[in-house]
Amino acid sequence: MAETEYSTTTELPVETVWAFVSEMDQWATMLTGYKTHEKQSQTDSLWTLKGDLGILQRTVQFRVHVTDWSGPARVAFELEGVNEVLEGSGEFLLTAADAPPDAARSRSGPIVRLMARILRFFHGLVHGRVEREAEAGRNPGAGGSRLSFRLRVDPGGPMAPMVNKLMEPAMLVAAENLCGRIIAHLEGGSAPGPNQA
Amino acid sequence: MAAQPDRWDLEVDVVAIGSGLGGITAAIVAHDRGKRVCVLEKAPRMGGLSGYGGGEVYCPNGRHMAEIGVEDSDEATRAYFDFLAAGFNHPELTDKLVASYRSAIDYLETEAGVQWVPVKGLPDYYYPDAPGSNTGRYLSVALFDGNSLGEWQQKSWQASPHLPPALTHREMYDWGGLGNVTQWDYELLAERIGNDQRAMGAGMMGYLLKAALVDRGITGYTEAPVRELVAQEGVVIGVRAEREGRDFFVRARDGVVLAVGGYDHNPDMAAMFENMHEWNSSTQPYFHGDHLVMAGELGAAIAAVPPTNLGMFFGYNIPGEEHEGVPLYRSSWECGCPHAIWVNRAGKRFCDESFYKDSQPALRSWNGHAQAQENIPPFLIFDQNYRDRYPLGSFTPGMDFPPELVTQADTPRELAEKLGIEAETFEQTIAHYNEYAAQGKDPDFGSGHYPWTQRLAGDMSFENPNVGPLDKAPYYGVKLVPVGVGINSHGLRTDTHARVMHLRGHPIPGLYAVGNSAALLDLGGGYQSGTSNMRAITWGFIAGQHLAAGS
Repeated sequence: MAETEYSTTTELPVETVWAFVSEMDQWATMLTGYKTHEKQSQTDSLWTLKGDLGILQRTVQFRVHVTDWSGPARVAFELEGVNEVLEGSGEFLLTAADAPPDAARSRSGPIVRLMARILRFFHGLVHGRVEREAEAGRNPGAGGSRLSFRLRVDPGGPMAPMVNKLMEPAMLVAAENLCGRIIAHLEGGSAPGPNQA
Repeated sequence: MAAQPDRWDLEVDVVAIGSGLGGITAAIVAHDRGKRVCVLEKAPRMGGLSGYGGGEVYCPNGRHMAEIGVEDSDEATRAYFDFLAAGFNHPELTDKLVASYRSAIDYLETEAGVQWVPVKGLPDYYYPDAPGSNTGRYLSVALFDGNSLGEWQQKSWQASPHLPPALTHREMYDWGGLGNVTQWDYELLAERIGNDQRAMGAGMMGYLLKAALVDRGITGYTEAPVRELVAQEGVVIGVRAEREGRDFFVRARDGVVLAVGGYDHNPDMAAMFENMHEWNSSTQPYFHGDHLVMAGELGAAIAAVPPTNLGMFFGYNIPGEEHEGVPLYRSSWECGCPHAIWVNRAGKRFCDESFYKDSQPALRSWNGHAQAQENIPPFLIFDQNYRDRYPLGSFTPGMDFPPELVTQADTPRELAEKLGIEAETFEQTIAHYNEYAAQGKDPDFGSGHYPWTQRLAGDMSFENPNVGPLDKAPYYGVKLVPVGVGINSHGLRTDTHARVMHLRGHPIPGLYAVGNSAALLDLGGGYQSGTSNMRAITWGFIAGQHLAAGS
C-alpha cells in the first residue's frame, strides 16, 4: 500500500475553497498526469491519468466512487483500476486554518487517526522528510482555511510491494501539486490548465 | 565542424562525450594519469546506456573465476572469441582486446572501487558446443548505495524499466530466472528501493560515477549535448556543446573521446544501416548517432559488422507505457518460457524462439522469390497454460491484457484468423509442436538446447525449461516489432589505441571512439551478454591511457 498526504493553508474562507473543490471539473486538470475524466453519476466518475513509477510512466484508468460528501468539510472516495489491478481511497479535507489538522475527519475513529500518523511518520523516514505543510509566507488568521489531500493506492499482483515503493515519491509530489495549484488558482496566482506529466 | 571560438568556456586536457562505461572509464584513467577531464552528457542523468542495462561484464579467465571454482585459459578465451567473430573481426583489434580487458576490469576494481561479483554457473551463450566456451565468465556488481553519490544521486540512472530495480544478477538466476518472475522476493526489493540500493547496470555505473564525479571531482555536466567538434588543421582541439540554451565551448588539449552510444533513436540512420523497415528501441531516447555525424565531418571512416548477429530483438509497446517521454518498447523474452512460440504470417515456426542468436538471422531471412522478409512480423503465440504461470511484460497472471496489444481466441484457428495468419497451416504448426512438446522436445528447431536459454528465460521445473505444449484455451497472440537495444551494426572505425580512423587510413589526431560508438570490429559478427560492457571498459581504458601518454 502506498499512501501520501499533503496540507496547505490559505487566507480564503472555507466556503470559497469548498465551492471550488466540490466540483471536480474545476480542478481535474490540475492533477499531475491528468488525461481525461468523465462524470458518470453524482457519485461515480471515470478517470485516466499518466501514472509515474519513476522508472516508467503508465496510463492508468480507474473508477472513482464518492463515499462521503460532508460539505463544506470532507469528500471521501474509493477508487478501483479499470486497466490495472489496483484499489484505493482518498479524501479532501477542509477545515478552518487554525483547527487541528484532523478536525474535518470527525468520522474517523482514533485508531484510524493513529494509523495515519504512524504511516506519515514512516513515510517521512523513508523519504528523509516528514510530511510537509506549505505555510511559508502565509498568514491564515481568522477566516482562513486548510486544504488537505490524502491518497492511498493498493496495487495488486506479486510485484505490489515493489510498485508501492516506486509510486510513493510521485504520489507525494502529486498531492503537493494538486493542493498547491488549487490554492494558487483561488488566490489568483494562476489559472487551471491542462497538466500533463 | 565548428571553428575555434574567440574564447573557450572551459579548458581541460580531455573531454569525454557521454557518461556510460566507455566515457567514464576513459575519464577515470586519464584523470589518474594527471589529466584534467570533463564529461559532457546529453541526457538529464549520468550513466548512459550502461546505467540502463543488465550490467553484465564478460570477463573470461578473470581473477574472480577462482572464487567459484571454474578453470579457464587465454587459449580458450581466444578460441571462443574467434567462434563469435566468425571471421568478420579485425584480428589486431581482437588481439588488443584480449590482451587488455582483464587489466581494464581489474583497474576499475582496485582503483575505482567497483565491487565485482562473479555470476556463478551462468554459461556462455553457446556453451557447451562452441570451442573455448565455459561457464562463470560473467561479472556483475554488488549492491551500490545511491546515497553515496551526493549531488549526482538524482542525476544518475537509478534503475531501468526493463528489470526489477535493486535485483542482483545472482538473485535473478538463483530465484529461477525470468520464467519465475512472479515468485521473486518483491518485499526485499521494495526495501532496497526505499534505500536507493542499486543493482545491475545502474549499480555498476553508480560505482563508476562515484569514482569519477565524487571521489575524483571530475567535472561533469548533464543536459550538455555536444553538437560539433572543433578542429584545427585536422586536429581535434575541443567541442561545441550546449548548456542552458547557449553555446559552451570546451577546449581539449589532448583529445576528445566519443562515447555517445549508437543511433537507435535516429530513424534515418536505423533504416539506412539496419536494413529494417521499422526500428524501435528499448533504450533511453538520447542515442542519435552523434558520433557518426560529428566524426563524419572530419572524414572519419564508418565500418560495419553483419547485423544478423547483434543484440536486436523483437518486442512490443504496452499501450500507454512511456519512459523519458517516449513509448517504452520491451524486448520479448516470453518465447523462452514453455507454452509459447513464434510464428510468421504463413503460420509456420521459423527458429529456436528461446535463443535470440538463432531467431535474429531467421527473422532477417530474405525470400528471393517473394522479395520479402517472410518472417516479419513475427507473432508471439501462447496459451492459458502460459497465462496462468508467466507474465507478459509487466502483466502478471491475473491481470487483464489490453486488447490493443493482445488478441485472444478460443481456438488456434480463430486466433489465426483474427491475427491475419494462414489458419490451416497455423493449426498444423500447433498440433505438430504439441506432439513433441509434451515430451519436452523440439526436433524442428532445438528450443531449450542451450543451458544459457534454460537458465535465463526458461522454467527450470520443466523437463525442457523452454518447451511446453499450447493446449489449453484460450489462446493469445501478440504482433511483434523490431526493438533495438543500442548495439548497432555500424560505428566508427578505430585502431588499436581507440583512435578514430580517417577514410584515407590514418588516425584523426585528438579523436577517439569507444563503446558502442566504435564499430564492433574487435568481435566481428559476434555478440553475447557482457561483451558490450567489456568492450566499453577496455577501449575506454585504452583511450584514457593513450591520451595520458601525450598522443
